[in-house]
Amino acid sequence: MAASMLLSFQSFSAQVDNSKTSTVKIYGNCGMCESAIEKAGNVKKVAAVEWNKDSKIATLTYDSVKTNQNEILRRIALAGYDSEHFFAPDEAYAKLPACCHYERAKASAHKDEAMASLKADKPEAGMHDHSAMTSQDKNQLKAVYDGYFSLKDALVKSDGSAASVIAKDLLAAINAVKMETLKPEEHTVWMKVKEDVTTDAEHITETKEVSHQRDHFTTLSKNMYQLIKVSKNDAPVYYQHCPMYNDGKGADWLSKESAIKNPYYGSQMLSCGKTVETIK
Amino acid sequence: MNLSHKMSKSIILTAIIALFAVHISYSQKVVRYHLYVKDTLVNFTGKEKRAIAVNGQIPMPTLTFTEGDTAEIYVHNEMKEKTSLHWHGVFLPNQEDGVPYLTQMPIEPGETYIYRFPIIQHGTHWYHSHSGLQEQLGMYGSMILNKRTNDPTFRKGIDDLPTVPVVLSEWTDYNPHNVERMLHNASDWFAIKKGATQSYGEAIKAGHFKTKVKNEWKRMLAMDVSDVYYDRFLMNGKNQSTLSQFKAGDKVRLRISNGGASTNFWLTYAGGKITVVANDGNDVEPVEVDRLLIAVSETYDVIVSIPGENTAYEFLATPEDRTKSASLYVGSGIKQLISPLPRLKYFEGMKMMNGMMKMNGDLDDMGMNMSLNQMDMNIVMYPEITGSETKDENKNSKMEGMDMESKAGKNEHAEHSGDQYNSNKLSNIVTLNYAMLKSPTETGLPKDAPVKELRFELTGNMNRYVWSLDNKVVSEADKIMIKKGENVRIIMFNNSMMRHPMHLHGHDFRLINGKGEYAPLKNIVDIMPMETDTLEFNANVYGDWFFHCHILYHMMSGMGRVISYEGQPKNPLIKNPRYAQRKLFSDDRHFHVMAENDFATNGNDGMLMIQNTRWSIGSEWRLGYNDMHGYETETHIGRYFGKMQWLMVFAGFDWRYRKEGIDEQEQNVFGQRNTKDDRALASLGFVYKLPMLIDFQTEVFHNGTFRLQLMREDIPVTKRIRMGFMVNSDIEYMVEARYILNRYIGLRTHYDSDMGFGMGISANY
Repeated sequence: MAASMLLSFQSFSAQVDNSKTSTVKIYGNCGMCESAIEKAGNVKKVAAVEWNKDSKIATLTYDSVKTNQNEILRRIALAGYDSEHFFAPDEAYAKLPACCHYERAKASAHKDEAMASLKADKPEAGMHDHSAMTSQDKNQLKAVYDGYFSLKDALVKSDGSAASVIAKDLLAAINAVKMETLKPEEHTVWMKVKEDVTTDAEHITETKEVSHQRDHFTTLSKNMYQLIKVSKNDAPVYYQHCPMYNDGKGADWLSKESAIKNPYYGSQMLSCGKTVETIK
Repeated sequence: MNLSHKMSKSIILTAIIALFAVHISYSQKVVRYHLYVKDTLVNFTGKEKRAIAVNGQIPMPTLTFTEGDTAEIYVHNEMKEKTSLHWHGVFLPNQEDGVPYLTQMPIEPGETYIYRFPIIQHGTHWYHSHSGLQEQLGMYGSMILNKRTNDPTFRKGIDDLPTVPVVLSEWTDYNPHNVERMLHNASDWFAIKKGATQSYGEAIKAGHFKTKVKNEWKRMLAMDVSDVYYDRFLMNGKNQSTLSQFKAGDKVRLRISNGGASTNFWLTYAGGKITVVANDGNDVEPVEVDRLLIAVSETYDVIVSIPGENTAYEFLATPEDRTKSASLYVGSGIKQLISPLPRLKYFEGMKMMNGMMKMNGDLDDMGMNMSLNQMDMNIVMYPEITGSETKDENKNSKMEGMDMESKAGKNEHAEHSGDQYNSNKLSNIVTLNYAMLKSPTETGLPKDAPVKELRFELTGNMNRYVWSLDNKVVSEADKIMIKKGENVRIIMFNNSMMRHPMHLHGHDFRLINGKGEYAPLKNIVDIMPMETDTLEFNANVYGDWFFHCHILYHMMSGMGRVISYEGQPKNPLIKNPRYAQRKLFSDDRHFHVMAENDFATNGNDGMLMIQNTRWSIGSEWRLGYNDMHGYETETHIGRYFGKMQWLMVFAGFDWRYRKEGIDEQEQNVFGQRNTKDDRALASLGFVYKLPMLIDFQTEVFHNGTFRLQLMREDIPVTKRIRMGFMVNSDIEYMVEARYILNRYIGLRTHYDSDMGFGMGISANY
């Protein structure tokens, strides 16, 4: 056993000239993380990465003439994994599979601000940080709305993979709603729509195909509209309509901006549609 | 002893000068720099390559002055070649402008040359060599002109921030002269290196076969947003660097110059919004953006802040072709990265170009009146704006095509079709465009001055890499004469397929952008294909001022003009104006060599060609190994016509010798007898590029025989496989396939009606 390990180590390091080895902590969770981290770091004959999912320690073996530790860690960070020298871009982290959403070391304040590119200027309501939800008791549906708006923005960009990830957060927000603390009128509507909303969110999570997601977004939007009408909003919400979608049957959506950005067609017909109601 | 004597003398001298200076202006101070220009070896990629360093460094040292100073710059040329330095965007007397053979004679090897001029403005500028391709080799540097603290335009919270000069650039391991030659020879090696060949194979895979056919039908070669493959991109000479002197809560003003020879850079920041506060050395009202494109030779002053503790935020410069990037980390601690810009969707770009290109090579903007970078056709290639390339996307983009074709207004969406290229309306990412720039002070020109209007069409073609204004290069056009005191208005329309950063020496112009009296002052305007931009300036300083595209390889091919004042005094530095003019013109007149030979089993196939803007002198040969295969050569001397240069008219000479060849053909399709076995004929003819890039050649020989020929070379089948064919009325034909191994070597197989089947190694230069 020991001999074979030694052997494998030798054959492994023999691939890299001028080899230098260092160890460094890289954040991650599971076996999926392991292969993603190693794939991002490895370059044939130049760099080899071995990451241990229990200790979170990676062994980097690299050609010190051709590369350095920072180059390897930079590539790994761009794949979504923080280390002691680099923070991954938030978008890259968000795109990781759910099991890989390790706890990030950096302050959550950064998270919010980086997610701002996806959302409008509203403060983040704990999309990725579920512990924040409890402090949101006052208007716990807000997390649901924010999830919905993020989803809409992803569909505007025709970004199926982002929509799928965001829908997962939306689902979490839906499940986190404590029905008993809702206001009576919210409670009534919530009872009515919860099941449908959950189904639509689930379907959107399960696919990366935008056309399918948009399909479910039509019914999701209808139910959200009923819900948001009885909620108190601190800013106006616009109920908007595209007459073209679904062979002219049309579809609706909610937006925080009055300007039309059509989630059913994205850039193809971005400004198709009109505001039919302003909900205050 | 001697030394101290000298020193005391010079101290007295300075004291006298200082005393004198105090007399004329209360704050005038002479700021002196010594620049030692020297050949050097650099290693950016693991290989040692020649470069040019000034005072031992690349980029050149940052020169800092304050408005009111006098600059005195000693240039010590320690190279074996001539040089010059141009002070980009700086107002100065014409003799100090640094354009060799136009405003001065070049600085000879071993010579020390002094540039001396008063600093009468402030702002972020830069300087670079204006000789040949030296800029590509490292001769660029920042030039910072500070505001006086008592300046009425001094902005608290902006002008008092800590500043860092940043000069962007790129590096190629190829000799720049070779780069230039390869561009003129339409080599697709750079595309192979970038993964941007856009071959038929790749097109079919991406479901874009029809797009590719249409593209070639319109006689376009696969194009990219930039032409040259670079090995490294640099910020202040480094690919990665950190400004660790800053901490959380700090605001930093970056004074950024794009010293790249042919690269536009996207600028993005991991720590939040970027606030733009100045452009081309002139203040603008602060504007917050998520990203901006800095065109070749532009400067932007931006403010970034550091939001978090113990974190360095990545300031990322990504070349427009998105092949690589350079990073500057602002702050100290763990480095927060920003998402890299995703790869371009090339076939979407190709489709967009197909739609815009008319059959005659003109561009059709479909009535969108584009200007000021507000509508960016390239966004069809940007996944972050128009979505990533998925099957679903393809379906939708078909709809987009329909939408555009029915622009007459058949459905209610059509009216928005112009917006489909407006990046800021399409996404939440705010991208800077020129219409967002506003000067904080009025910039209006003298009201009563006469107006002179000049119009230019930016022209050029990719196939021969000729770039021009109104289809004339510098050496083919007269100087443009203007009068001192008049207001000059220039209206430019870009009718070429590439964007061009047009730069005017010695003056700032107002870019008419809808801000009225507060139009921003600039000295470069980056003008995209199909855009029309208007700029104006008051002619207020005598001289011969260069007006040109700042992409180095476009400028060298002749894309520019000289603007000159009527009745101005002679430049004392140009002793022999006719000689100087000839040298100036030699840049775009010069010939590029191209050569090829296939060492095959059945003989040698090859050609040697020298070409410039309009002329081509070339010889082709097919040399067998025995008399039966025969030997033949064809030589053509031709001239290209038209802006697309699809037509070449030539005079030629054919010689061939053969005995008992395998192809018995002694008559052509017209029934004319043609002596294949032993002939020496002179000819006249023309070559015309047909749709699908097929060369149609018609030739009449002095004995009255005709020859018609169709030929297509370099059909991109896959990333590295090229095919070609030839057939003519002498009933000769040839088909070939080639696999490109590297820049100079390929494997080739062909069948030739004279020489039969052959395989070999083809070398090309």
